[in-house]
Amino acid sequence: MFDALPDRLAWFVGGPILGLLIVGLFVVANQPLGASGAYVQTSGLIRRRSDVVVWRVWYFVGLFAGGLLVTQVFREGAEIRSGYDAMRDVFPLWATIPLVFGGATLLGYGAAVAGGCTSGHGMCGTAQRSPASVAVTVTFMATAILTTFVLRIATGGDL
Amino acid sequence: MRLNVIGMLFGIAFGGVLAASNLHEYDTIHAMLRLDEFDVFWFMASAIAVSAPLLDLLERRGMNTPFGGELSLSRSMPEKHHVQGGALFGIGWALAGTCPAPALVMVSSGAMLGLVAIPGIFLGLHLRERQQQSDQHVGDGEHRMAVTSDH
Repeated sequence: MFDALPDRLAWFVGGPILGLLIVGLFVVANQPLGASGAYVQTSGLIRRRSDVVVWRVWYFVGLFAGGLLVTQVFREGAEIRSGYDAMRDVFPLWATIPLVFGGATLLGYGAAVAGGCTSGHGMCGTAQRSPASVAVTVTFMATAILTTFVLRIATGGDL
Repeated sequence: MRLNVIGMLFGIAFGGVLAASNLHEYDTIHAMLRLDEFDVFWFMASAIAVSAPLLDLLERRGMNTPFGGELSLSRSMPEKHHVQGGALFGIGWALAGTCPAPALVMVSSGAMLGLVAIPGIFLGLHLRERQQQSDQHVGDGEHRMAVTSDH
């Protein structure tokens, strides 16, 4: 709407801001700025579990709202599209959908086994200098880079 | 009540930073994992570089938090499930090109395939929960999820 933000915030601005947010949530609530826990609590609310951490559900809503604010209000306003441009250049939609869904299921399962995801372990955990989080982070970085490399070979360098 | 508002504000800020940094785009994550572009690695590293010493300092001062008691960081030792879970997470991350927080921003940015990714993440988390009959490991890092009520 307003076109007030650059196309992409530089990492040396965005990264430190995120660092301060991580510190902020610890200062306020002694809790990590993770994301998979918010999914767990939100699905708990949908399934009417009794022990739901309600503020994590509001946090889940906030993540969506923050994205909306930046992409639709502070920027010119992104249109409805499929996304995944680089993948769509290589695969048709009927192949992209199961790839994205399968990958997402796998990462959700993996995050549950590991006890956190890119934010919970990758950033908040390593920021607490937890050896377990460092192990998770090193492992997922390695398998992600390896998987990307295998996909690149399998598609003849197209993806 | 107040914690709900604070939680939502932190969500908005986190989602906003992810969106402003284009981390919700498959192409950004893909370029990172192809090692074509290192911005996301630097993004993560600088977030840790800013937060780690501050958290350390606040913990040593025995800071009291308004909603969660005394600030306590968790430093647990790696176990088998950390490596196994991390390995699966990485493969899924590379395939889907997104992870739990950016997937939500993906949808709010208009990229409809995010609506395929989000149910997948829910399903994956749920499958593990069912398998375990408890969610003791499901959470955000090793930190307990004890803060449930307002003070």
